[in-house]
Amino acid sequence: MIDFGSFRTASCTGTNRRSFLRTAAAVPAFAAAGLPAMADIEAARKRAKAKSVILLWLWGGPSHVDMVDPKPDAPDDFRGPFGTIATKTPGMQFTELLPRMAARSDRYSVIRSMQTTNGGHPGAGTVGVTGFEESPGPVQPNFGAIVARHRGQQEALPPFFYVGRGIPRDLPRRIEGYGGGTLGKAWDPFLVHCSERGEVSIPTLKMLPRMSPNRIRDRRALMKQMDAERYRLDASEVDRWGQTFQSAYGLLTSDEAREAFDLTSESRKTRSSYGNTTFGQGCLLARRLAQAGVPYIQVNWSEYVETFTPNGDFGWDTHIYNFELLQDRHCPIFDRAYSALLDDLYDQGMMDDTLLVAMGEFGRTPRISNRASREHWQHCYFSIWAGAGIEPGRCIGESDARGEYPVSRPITPLMAGTTIAELCGVGAQERAQMKVLDGGSLIDELL
Amino acid sequence: MRSLLTIFFAASTLAVAAEPVRLTSDGSLKRDPRFVDGGNSIVYCFDENPALVRMMKLSMDDRSAKPVFENAAGKHHIEPAFSPDGNWISYTACTGNLTARLVIASLKEGKEAYITHQGRGGTRSPVFSPDSKRVIYAFAEKGPQQLWSVKTDGSDKKQLTTSSGVSNWPTFTPDGRQIVFSNSREKNYEIYIMNADGSNERRLTTNTLMDIRPAVSPDGRQIAFVSTRTGNYDVFVMNIDGSNLRQITNSDERDDYPRWHPNGRQLVTVSERDGEFDLYLRDVVDVNVADR
Repeated sequence: MIDFGSFRTASCTGTNRRSFLRTAAAVPAFAAAGLPAMADIEAARKRAKAKSVILLWLWGGPSHVDMVDPKPDAPDDFRGPFGTIATKTPGMQFTELLPRMAARSDRYSVIRSMQTTNGGHPGAGTVGVTGFEESPGPVQPNFGAIVARHRGQQEALPPFFYVGRGIPRDLPRRIEGYGGGTLGKAWDPFLVHCSERGEVSIPTLKMLPRMSPNRIRDRRALMKQMDAERYRLDASEVDRWGQTFQSAYGLLTSDEAREAFDLTSESRKTRSSYGNTTFGQGCLLARRLAQAGVPYIQVNWSEYVETFTPNGDFGWDTHIYNFELLQDRHCPIFDRAYSALLDDLYDQGMMDDTLLVAMGEFGRTPRISNRASREHWQHCYFSIWAGAGIEPGRCIGESDARGEYPVSRPITPLMAGTTIAELCGVGAQERAQMKVLDGGSLIDELL
Repeated sequence: MRSLLTIFFAASTLAVAAEPVRLTSDGSLKRDPRFVDGGNSIVYCFDENPALVRMMKLSMDDRSAKPVFENAAGKHHIEPAFSPDGNWISYTACTGNLTARLVIASLKEGKEAYITHQGRGGTRSPVFSPDSKRVIYAFAEKGPQQLWSVKTDGSDKKQLTTSSGVSNWPTFTPDGRQIVFSNSREKNYEIYIMNADGSNERRLTTNTLMDIRPAVSPDGRQIAFVSTRTGNYDVFVMNIDGSNLRQITNSDERDDYPRWHPNGRQLVTVSERDGEFDLYLRDVVDVNVADR
């Protein structure tokens, strides 16, 4: 079987580059004969509805069984302490920690059969946002870098943003798949941070004293200050500096960009609906960036589990206090922010051309640990999809009675990335030309 | 006629709760308020910044707040408890990666005891016995999370419960003879009461959704707690035997962490309004009755 649009072959291991080349070589013959390949290409073109992607990156590994895939009839040492509630999707229950999302499940679809290949944060993080292991390398590009490269540099706003404190990391190191990978550093994400008060800061500019987006008014003064900083650097740093500050300068001297960063122009009702949390306000910033035409925005969950890990930034990595953290902090914050973002995208008329995806790098052990928490679990986890042609109100995939393994088709990060790319117009041909997402197939059930 | 009107208006006033009083206004994420100094102050914890959860003391007179520990030294402090005799404080301190420990400190002598268990993990929800001699807390050492008891000097550690599910939020009745707590063995958190030695356990709530953070009133006759049975986190009060359930808060946003004022007629809660978390002082009046 050849499914050009979905980029699948009959191989159970998926399509490799050789099989793609075979497929590509066959295209003219199919095209000449007016055979289905062209129809598939046309179908792919029609699928490309996403002007922007907002990825809510739930770094750390959120517990699937304590959130969107509860197992109330599992044995005591698996079942969590939380009750279950109905959602608007027939037959799908959530735990009581996500009531707002449960009331909106007719607007998104949930995949309960995600599976990845790596059980450590940096490695699984790279797989989660590139589709591939870091080693043997080279490190593949982040999904955002692929979309950014396809769309190209915009005039004012970079095409790929990270909203968060920095590149997701654990204590030893950061994830390697954070940026451009084989496409080059030009497609690395541009980092902005948003405080719980909605104050946006650009870490790149922290070297410039007293500089913030709201204070940039005098372009000449800004340029002078940037040049002064540039002279302080040694030669090896100048290129990197130039690249970074070209983006920063473009941002700060652009009315369009400054407007995108100005959350104060939103009504108080809108801002508060997201919650006065870093993640909540970061989601609002992401909506504004998408509205301004940024193709790919990754909002990195961060800062909350720090309560129990000083100076760490491990997000949902709840090795201790799993149940307490989920009920006290993470789930109320996520439930509110996600629901507000969903409502806002609908109210703004952006849902048809904005793809909203929420996922982490893996799930957590269905068996409760000896410290009443849950550890890493790469064999089964979840993702949530909405907008840009995603069929809403579906529960896709099924995990077994304990939430340990998928009992229906496992969905991989590579499939997630391929689907994101396809919805952004990065079709099979473009992917092959860029040499990215090799072997990836679409998550057909979403479309 | 005038006397009849006076009676009528007096009765009306009794039936209507005063508006909750907002005690803080910074809106930061807060938790764990506890009345101290006979009700003249509240100690609570809040996100001072993304890297520090700090314990603060709020004056009920002028609403000023100052840190309980001047030098927090990058350690997060949560779930404070104060002994009834005023001599001790206990709290959970996060001390590093995936590690938290229970601290019991003498407020007068400056001595500290650290309660440790096998393996890494975190203690939860310390509370002093009414005689100020012991601390009860929750910890998972080998499997299900249980309630433990220890002397204030850190000695004589005992496991009080051997239940399945997750046990948490112990609180004493004022006479010290019973402990009220939550446990999840029935597929969600329910509230139970047992003798202080762990015997004679009885279930007080029956619900398919969580009932957590029980707090016994100063006179020992009522229990305030949090439940999601309304669809989100709301505060309820019931009699000590589980009867006479009353709903105290009714908002689409979160109301959590109830604690009794020493006068027994008011609760402090952490309530989220328009996305901001602040402390509120509210009368114990059934909102459903008040609405009628």
